[in-house]
Amino acid sequence: MPSIRVPSALRRFTGDASDIEVRATTVRDALAELDRRHPGIAAKLLDNGVVKPFIRIFVGPDDIGGLSGLDTQLAERDEVAIVPAIAGGSDA
Amino acid sequence: MTLRATIVGAGGLGGPIALSLGAAGVELAIADHDHVELSNLHRQIQFTAMDLEQPKAACLAGLVVARGGAARSIASRWADDTADELGGDADVVIDASDDPVTKFAVADWAVANGRCYVIAAALRYGGNVMAGAPGVACYRCLFEAPVDAPTCADAGVLGPAVGAIGGVAAAVALTLARGDRALAGALLVFEDLRRAADPRVVRFAPRPGCPACARAPIAPLASPLATPVRVTEVH
Repeated sequence: MPSIRVPSALRRFTGDASDIEVRATTVRDALAELDRRHPGIAAKLLDNGVVKPFIRIFVGPDDIGGLSGLDTQLAERDEVAIVPAIAGGSDA
Repeated sequence: MTLRATIVGAGGLGGPIALSLGAAGVELAIADHDHVELSNLHRQIQFTAMDLEQPKAACLAGLVVARGGAARSIASRWADDTADELGGDADVVIDASDDPVTKFAVADWAVANGRCYVIAAALRYGGNVMAGAPGVACYRCLFEAPVDAPTCADAGVLGPAVGAIGGVAAAVALTLARGDRALAGALLVFEDLRRAADPRVVRFAPRPGCPACARAPIAPLASPLATPVRVTEVH
């Protein structure tokens, strides 16, 4: 079953779980399943069905932007990683 | 040949970056407008209680020099009117700030001026390090525009995570400055350093219509992994 790697900034939606297995054949389905089980998380990732500009989604090491976007097919053991922009450092 | 680096931010990330690059013989310019506060000390371990209320950039540059390195401090933010002075002739510019706008500004300047750059960020138990170089997808290709991304002040950060991310950022910066482009265009993602120290290394596609790449002096490659051109001398 594919899994979704949830970034720490969004784990408040998942009860602090970092890896969520989902029954899905595409990235879009995987995110829908994630939101069904953890309501509200998709709104942090998508805007009118489009990935927000400060969020990148990868299947394994590959950016879905270079694949088929949200329609990228998932294999049984694929890992979907959500990578948001973060800004921690120094208040320079 | 002496390598030069500009570090934007003298805090939790800037500290380990400056100390390690300074010890490696890199000439540094360190920019930060802020002063040391008591609440900084748990994660900005280059400072002590003796530094309270002192300018961060000057304290950090002084520490680098005391260890035999070369560094100058600039008590200033990175902004459009200071970028050329701060970036100067640096071989690599490193963003270690806590401000999304600054991260984009540093990356945009580096792309427009054909420089290598590193964008580092730490939050909670992990962080990200992006290695930027001419000819590959840029930071604006990655995240498009500044947003209210969570900061350490919002979400907190584990002190040792900041040190670890800073160390990685320094290593990546040194590699880029020396001309090694193996990581150019890659994003290193450390999700939770309490559990695993290995980063997820991901590469991302150029964003069509990216305004920063459009201003770049060198046309982006079709792929960050494109085969380099081999030049053969013919006699």
